Amino acid sequence: MALVDPTASHLDPGMDGESGVLASVFGALPNANCPKHGQNTPEDTKRCLRKVIGHHRDYVKISLPDAKGNRLPTEWWKTAIAFFYAIFNLVLTTVVITVVHERVPEKENSPPLPDKFFDYIDRVKWAFTVTEINGMLLVGIWVIQWLFLRYKSIAGRRFFFLIGTLYLYRCVTMYITTLPVPGNHFTCAPKLYGDSHAKMQRVLTLISGGGLSITGSHLMCGDFLYSGHTVMLTLTYLFIKEYSPRTFWWYHLMCWLLAAVGVVCILVAHEHYSVDVVVAYFITSRLFWWYHTMANVQALRCSPNNYLTNTWWNPVFNFFERNVQTQVPCSFCWPITWPPACLKNSCKKYSAVQSLREE
Amino acid sequence: MKKVGQWSAEEVSHWLSEEGMQEYGDSLQQADGPALLRLTPDDFLTPPLSLVSSDTGRQLLERLETLRIEHHIEEHQKNGHANGHGRLPNGTAKPLRKGSLGLNGFRKEMVQIPIPMLEAERSGFPQEWGKTGVAFLYAVCCFVTTTVVISVVHERVPAKEHNPPLPDKFFDIFDRVEWAFSICEINGMLLVSLWLLQWTLLKYRSIIIRRFFFIVGTLYLYRCVTMYITTLPVPGMHFQCSPKLFGNWEVQMRRIIKLIAGGGLSITGSHTMCGDYLYSGHTVILTLSYLFIKEYSPKRFWWYHWFCWTLSAVGIFCILLAHDHYTVDVVVAYFITTRLFWWYHTMANQQALKETSQSNPFSRVWWFRLFQYFEGNVKGIVPRNYQLPCSWRSSPWSHGVKYSKVDTQ
Repeated sequence: MALVDPTASHLDPGMDGESGVLASVFGALPNANCPKHGQNTPEDTKRCLRKVIGHHRDYVKISLPDAKGNRLPTEWWKTAIAFFYAIFNLVLTTVVITVVHERVPEKENSPPLPDKFFDYIDRVKWAFTVTEINGMLLVGIWVIQWLFLRYKSIAGRRFFFLIGTLYLYRCVTMYITTLPVPGNHFTCAPKLYGDSHAKMQRVLTLISGGGLSITGSHLMCGDFLYSGHTVMLTLTYLFIKEYSPRTFWWYHLMCWLLAAVGVVCILVAHEHYSVDVVVAYFITSRLFWWYHTMANVQALRCSPNNYLTNTWWNPVFNFFERNVQTQVPCSFCWPITWPPACLKNSCKKYSAVQSLREE
Repeated sequence: MKKVGQWSAEEVSHWLSEEGMQEYGDSLQQADGPALLRLTPDDFLTPPLSLVSSDTGRQLLERLETLRIEHHIEEHQKNGHANGHGRLPNGTAKPLRKGSLGLNGFRKEMVQIPIPMLEAERSGFPQEWGKTGVAFLYAVCCFVTTTVVISVVHERVPAKEHNPPLPDKFFDIFDRVEWAFSICEINGMLLVSLWLLQWTLLKYRSIIIRRFFFIVGTLYLYRCVTMYITTLPVPGMHFQCSPKLFGNWEVQMRRIIKLIAGGGLSITGSHTMCGDYLYSGHTVILTLSYLFIKEYSPKRFWWYHWFCWTLSAVGIFCILLAHDHYTVDVVVAYFITTRLFWWYHTMANQQALKETSQSNPFSRVWWFRLFQYFEGNVKGIVPRNYQLPCSWRSSPWSHGVKYSKVDTQ
């Protein structure tokens, strides 16, 4: 009895591809249905394979989903909804500031609260102007950067949503407890007991001036917990850093300096309590990281133990980010040309970790 | 399934058609099991098999070999062999076991694949009481720091007459109820005891209590910061603050120890100091113990969860009703507690979030290294398994607990 020779190559598990497996089998094909040639070309092998596959029912066809489908749809209408949400919350904040202004206790009745920072650093008059200039610079830089982004709609949508939510939280904290003015230098506009018309005027002035003291629109007091200026500075910095190339460290450093100096100057000007600034930074950074983790880490979306979805805004998040299936890659386009001409490899150098995750 | 050696001719042809080799059906019509096993490659070079076979019988022989191996393994399992074989001796026709590969005297090298004995609990969820000790010390440190800071802040609280209570929306709507704060503290003590009782019944005690210590410690640390930087005035004129001790360290130390000993509760009479308003420690404890109770108990106990939720909600409401904290203190405390809890547990449950990388924004938080230290060896979601604390293994109660499929995972 002859021994069976088990060393045939088809038993080797290290074979790549089905053509490899059965090519060796069909190499010596005396009278199969495949045409006889001197040498079996790969095409013939594949054709034979298909026939044999059907015959032997050994193989199952696995259809892969189209990997090139659009994983980052623009969906400008969702961005518009986010924009209206942000506008609504900004207007609501303005209204709440006007309401709260009526309830701020008088400086004489309720002197400024003890604050550790104010104990050490005396007030510097022009510091708040520095803050507001920094804020305007950062917002301007972010808008310019946003214009050059390739996926404007997605980044814009996130910015509007986060700004809207942060200002909404601010409405709540401002309204429920009213802190007294942080310093005796404050000149608050007189109270308008019940005069709705004048209140409306004030609201419009505030909105048109963007809530800045530089423009002379911010004469009202009471909006201390938490600081809207800190929110703006922190959030624009976080967005600038997130949606720009990792290698632009000098750019990130410059923006960080602008933000940090702006925040410190708020305190130096005695315009907000320290706790206002600290709480604002905390809430802004946590919300930003939370949102971006939910959006970027795809494994979380299918995970049942994802506690990040316990927030009240989770349905809104799902609505905005449902069709965004991957991390927004860092790529830039000229904003004006049509069709948009995008820079190839605009963010060239990546760490190994990042390049595995980008397409 | 019977051994191949005992197959009849019908079974052979049935097997052939099942394997998709019907072409041999006619030529091997008469072959039964042993005949099948006696097939060799040479048989396929001569008619009649060469006329029907397209691959000189390789596939059929392959399948036969698989069958032999399967049977061989079954035989060995029956006879108590757990692992694979070593090399069979060359050319020996000695049958090793019943129906072994010695049938054809055929030489086949089998590869031993060692299967490591996995002890799931040891590899996935190590107890590591040392790390729990570190977390405990961290929490104790934070508590003591909080007490010291309260004592320091007390000196800076403006007098009631100087700085009246701030306007607060809740206080405008609801007047003060005197006994409400006792309710809050009783609820707090109940919830903490329930949680501790539940904790003693958990299996992975060390990991869970480590998380509790870490989260509580961090929350109290944040509280130190917010209390210290800005001092809010007392929320109501009913407050009786102890007199200030300007620089008298010994009395201050005594106050601190008294506060720690009383757990910071007013019921025990230890909390006579003012100034610790932003944010509310009572809310933190009420919320956190409820979150932990809910997280580490079976999902079926919805009545238990509802009961604890009611305790917690009533407790928080009573804080405000007693005018013992501003509304913003309670809201901020709730926000920070829930966010930290969910953040920590999502990171702990997701392997991808335990590494520092550009696509993991959570890794930028300041306590990330500490988190990696605590949760580095915990692989996966801690299952909700229960175990009595003492070694009452033979207790009838420990067998009576029924789990849902999710719980036992």
